[in-house]
Amino acid sequence: MEALVVDAGSKLLKAGAAIPDQSPAMIIPSQMKRMVDDAPENPTTVFEDVTLDPIERGFIRDWDAMEDLLRYVVYTGLGWEEGNEGNILFTDPLCTPKAIREQLVQLMFETFNVSGFYASEQAVLSLYAVGRISGCTVDIGHGKIDIAPVLEGAVQHIASKRFELGGTDLTKLFAQELGKSNPSVNLSMSDVETLKEQYANCAEDETAYEKTQNCEIEQHTLPDGQVINIGRERYSVGEALFQPSILGLEEHGIVEQLVRIISTVSSENHRQLLENTVLCGGTTSMTGFEGRFQKEASLCSSAIRPTLVKPPEYMSENLGLYSAWIGGAILAKVVFPQNQHVTKADFDETGPSVVHRKCF
Amino acid sequence: MSWQTYVDDHLMCDLGDEQRLTAAAIIGQDGSVWAQSANFPQLKPEEIEGINKDFTEPGTLAPTGLFINGAKYMVIQGEPNAVIRGKKGAGGVTIKKTTQALVFGIYEDPVTPGQCNMVVERLGDYLIESGL
Repeated sequence: MEALVVDAGSKLLKAGAAIPDQSPAMIIPSQMKRMVDDAPENPTTVFEDVTLDPIERGFIRDWDAMEDLLRYVVYTGLGWEEGNEGNILFTDPLCTPKAIREQLVQLMFETFNVSGFYASEQAVLSLYAVGRISGCTVDIGHGKIDIAPVLEGAVQHIASKRFELGGTDLTKLFAQELGKSNPSVNLSMSDVETLKEQYANCAEDETAYEKTQNCEIEQHTLPDGQVINIGRERYSVGEALFQPSILGLEEHGIVEQLVRIISTVSSENHRQLLENTVLCGGTTSMTGFEGRFQKEASLCSSAIRPTLVKPPEYMSENLGLYSAWIGGAILAKVVFPQNQHVTKADFDETGPSVVHRKCF
Repeated sequence: MSWQTYVDDHLMCDLGDEQRLTAAAIIGQDGSVWAQSANFPQLKPEEIEGINKDFTEPGTLAPTGLFINGAKYMVIQGEPNAVIRGKKGAGGVTIKKTTQALVFGIYEDPVTPGQCNMVVERLGDYLIESGL
């Protein structure tokens, strides 16, 4: 039986059997709605559906909701039978607290009764997906940005950096800007999210961004019939990644951060890291992002320019969105057959802390 | 039980398929060797110092690397003030800190880092429980 690979992100949960040359079988939103139980005595009361995100900023926060979500994914979605659970591989963001990893492994063995477990960091997995074991990943997800140098499969934690900034903050920025230019229109966050995905753009460079002051205004009709004008705001969203001051953050742009991080690693590895830079995560699929990244990279201060890795041709188009999952599928094919994973016996003997010893 | 027995029977034990760690040792935090396997490399005083420092201030060894008798290991994810892990090609080293000593395990392909960790850390935990 194939192992399952689960990449639980702040916005989308990717899951499927470990078959590396396909996209994950299930790509579902992580957001869940709490269904209020029916109360027959009060049929006239209005029930509010509360939406909650079990995963915030990449980390699992709401364990009950996560359990329900996983139960759905594993049994209903991917066809495992109770009593016959196999091996499962999870992806973690950078700097996952030990307690969270331990709680996850405990949930898997005690509640789901899996036979084997492995967890690996998303940065390493994204590199495996493009056929490398060393390089630098820039993962711009919904809830966080991780920049991690990886050497021979080992993340250099001292050098890596995590930013509590992601697609969700860009959506808020977009909503704010649209609110300013379209004051009469009522926008829900999920509408803004869809608009962001459709319209967000990166200007070619800083001067081009300045020029977008006078860019053309597009009209968009929302599902409820309202019409809004989208002009410069779409470029602000992309620009925020390169000039975080737009979001009110006192940080450098993303390429500058990458170069700084690499400079803290020992210099013999600089070339290897910079020449194998991988962009992944949903936000990197923004139109013009890659081009702008390359441009900024050629302007940056270090002697060696960051070069983006081209994914192999046999991989699907949207590799950036699923690269951690695909890397997980590749790793699962190596780890489980060679028994390098955490088995039920290991867990029973040592307890949840075994995950730190066996999973790299 | 003598320290040598700990090394021979518990650290250099059969991991399955007749595989064993390449070398192992239990060394006091002052640098004195309590016991070691036959081919365990000689640690230099400054290397021991560096290791002790990295336990108290994690991140000191990462930029330069972990050295064991001159052999360089790349520092990978460990546990602050508990475990230092190093990687050299397909092999590596695990160092577990106990109350008074440092337990070393050096492994090479095909032994996996996970296997080395289990052996070294398990013995380390046992020593900590015994106050050593």
